[in-house]
Amino acid sequence: MTARRYLPLAWAATVLLAAAVTSPGVGISRDEAVYVEAGASYARFWREAARDPSRALALADRYYAPNHEHPGLAKGLFGLSRTILHDATGILGEVQASRVVAWLLAAFLAALLALWGCELAGPLGGAIAPALFLAVPGNAWHAHVAALDLPVTALVLGTTYAWWRSTSASRGWLSTAGWAMAAGLLFGAALSTKHNAWLLPPVLLGAWVLGSFRGRQESHGPAAEGAIGTVRGHRFPWAIVAMAVIGPAVLVATWPWIWHHTIPRLQGWLAFHLHHENHPWMYLGRMLREPPFPVAYPLVVTSLTVPAAIGVAMIGGVAQSVSRIVSAWRGRAPGVSVPTEWLLLLSAILPIALVAWPTVPRFGGAKHWMPALPFLALLGARALVTVGRVLWPARPGAVTGALAALALAPAAWQVAHVHPFGTAAWNELAGGAAGAASLGMQRQFWGDATVAVLPALNEHATPDARVWFQETPPLAVRQYQREGRLRGDLVPAAGPEDADLSIWQYHQEFRDREFRTWTELRTVRPVAGAYLDEVPLVQVYARPGAWR
Amino acid sequence: MNELPDPRGPTYRLPSPPPPDPTGWHALRRRARSTLWPPRAPAWAALLAIAVAAAGLRGLWFQATLPGRLPAATDWQAVAGLLSRDARPGDAVALAPPWAERGRAALPDRIPSRPDAPLPVLALPSYAAQAEDLAGIRRVWLVALPRAPGGPGRAAEELAARASTVDGPIRIGRIELTRYDLREPSLPAWSLSGRLGDAVVTGGSATREVREVAGLPRTCAVLRPDGAAPIVLRLPPARLGSVLRVHAGPVGDGTGAGPFVVRLLVDGVEVGRLPGGAPAWSPARIDAARLSPGEHAVSVEATVAGPAPVPTCVELEALP
Repeated sequence: MTARRYLPLAWAATVLLAAAVTSPGVGISRDEAVYVEAGASYARFWREAARDPSRALALADRYYAPNHEHPGLAKGLFGLSRTILHDATGILGEVQASRVVAWLLAAFLAALLALWGCELAGPLGGAIAPALFLAVPGNAWHAHVAALDLPVTALVLGTTYAWWRSTSASRGWLSTAGWAMAAGLLFGAALSTKHNAWLLPPVLLGAWVLGSFRGRQESHGPAAEGAIGTVRGHRFPWAIVAMAVIGPAVLVATWPWIWHHTIPRLQGWLAFHLHHENHPWMYLGRMLREPPFPVAYPLVVTSLTVPAAIGVAMIGGVAQSVSRIVSAWRGRAPGVSVPTEWLLLLSAILPIALVAWPTVPRFGGAKHWMPALPFLALLGARALVTVGRVLWPARPGAVTGALAALALAPAAWQVAHVHPFGTAAWNELAGGAAGAASLGMQRQFWGDATVAVLPALNEHATPDARVWFQETPPLAVRQYQREGRLRGDLVPAAGPEDADLSIWQYHQEFRDREFRTWTELRTVRPVAGAYLDEVPLVQVYARPGAWR
Repeated sequence: MNELPDPRGPTYRLPSPPPPDPTGWHALRRRARSTLWPPRAPAWAALLAIAVAAAGLRGLWFQATLPGRLPAATDWQAVAGLLSRDARPGDAVALAPPWAERGRAALPDRIPSRPDAPLPVLALPSYAAQAEDLAGIRRVWLVALPRAPGGPGRAAEELAARASTVDGPIRIGRIELTRYDLREPSLPAWSLSGRLGDAVVTGGSATREVREVAGLPRTCAVLRPDGAAPIVLRLPPARLGSVLRVHAGPVGDGTGAGPFVVRLLVDGVEVGRLPGGAPAWSPARIDAARLSPGEHAVSVEATVAGPAPVPTCVELEALP
């Protein structure tokens, strides 16, 4: 009981502190720059709404025009955080202040994993599950930035947890109705963060329906009080009603962009994501441009980005869950909650399976199926705990602890090693960044690695030099300058033709930009660079005389 | 219905003798099968524990040994010093694996004793004769990272196959340096991109640039036609040598590239044609030895189709 209470708090505090300390080293990604600016605009709307609601309503379109491809909640919270911690108090820079929401949601995610891990597998499960998630370098990197992928992952996990509790006999802190309402609110928040959340109802309902097939397992009688996940009986998931009612209401309430022209704008939002453009993406030496895309893509990328030992534990967890379902069907596992197993299993598999569909665009690395990772972490943690219990019943903690340490140590090492280049992280099966470059995988994305060459740029660029920042958008350049991380006299250039300096960020799909730079700047020799395991991520080229 | 008992008594069948198993392989297989199936919790738990432990130890080993597999800054400096001393005009540096492009920053791009002579640094996926002409290069210095994850690739074998002399490799820290003297270096007498300043261009513009064609850098004449009509480059008369070698491809990654046709005319007569459109550095060789000796006027004519034609990268080389 004590562990259930304190482990989540300890994890939340640790994640919050670690993110706050290490965040300044992480560069501003392309999407983040947009979200930070959009958040500031949304915050202005809410300030205006507090002063003069009718005027704010009239101006809603103007305030919410920036980045209306994604709903307003997370970005609005970035803006709120920025208003408090930067605009009003000046405690943090504008980007770091916006990121605080991402850190808090990462802390929430870790706490929830600890809590759920405790409930599934005891205190060791609660201790290990958040670590298995956060020791994946891509996930750790996302815990820093004011983007939408980790927030939606946290809210999907939260919704699923509340759903699970609402269908369980043990009500915990809330009543069944309370958990159902919580599921509705969290689903609304997820929906108002990113469109991945639309996948939730089918997953949850699918798990509930599949959970009703018990084979030879006794399925009669009411759910036993105190049992989580209803071994017996099969409660109707009232949470789905709350989700259907509260979810869209939260979406609309937190996104003033759809207060006017609601239907066409919702249609436009859905159409944008259903017909999302296909950004070119390197995969095993091939440039993926148009569908059909390789079905194995998410599996291959997952197996090459999740540290191998963690991946093995996760696979073990999936296998254990399948075996528990089969055992329950055969009547050999009376204590197994089949609905719970399906819930974990489908939540862990379906986000990956969806991206495997050949027409779903491939870009953004593993972030598009990040909502699967917390569930894989839970399954992995439970598997490690089970291994300890089975192999050494007298000292299960020793076995589980040793295995967890072996699984997490290389991963934690890698997280520290690749920081702050999280989008360029590949695991030891790939051979790290170097091996992945040899395999022909995408080297990086989002333009955040530029941060590593800013000190050199500040020191060596001639005054008023014109800089072609390429993948780092002008918004991010201005944010760097306002935060004092980039000299204010440097001017963004539109291309190599009018640039004194060129910041080439290695993307095979934009390779011509580097060669144009060679032509225009009359040099093939970089003057500075950022490398991960000798693999170039960013190289700076200078026109003769532009680098002191 | 009951069968009558056999008056000769019951028939017994002896079990078939076990297959000969001198190595013990069948017994081991039987034991493994009985251990794994039907699945028992301890067996699977042990299997998972072994797999996690093995993967974890492998991960630790990888992280611990990674720095020792990659060159240090001093290794690059030492290689740069050696190349500055020993390189001569006509040399080039090849990086293997090709992503080791720190070499562009660390190694000299010109020969210190001859600042007018460039020392090109190549980072190509293949150095096989069929893939790359290595025009203008007599000797290649292969800078390889032999222990880097993924390995240095096949560059050494490919260069060795077209070399008359191989000097090395010598080990400099975590870098291996080998010099390959090409057996049949391809040394053009002149090239289109080199003579572009002398060319008369009609129907568009042509500039000498380094551009991407199919993912790799190509120095070429980039032709931008004004419209659907062909762009024509007329070069002053020159000796053609024995072979005219043409390459052409759409600039960039091929996105939006329509079909194009590059025609080569000598004294106004078409001697070669190169249709293309795919993102590739398409080659053609024209036997110039059959032409009369002396100087000839060469024209390159390119027609690019499509609503927004992609510039075309064209290089023509006269080989002696």
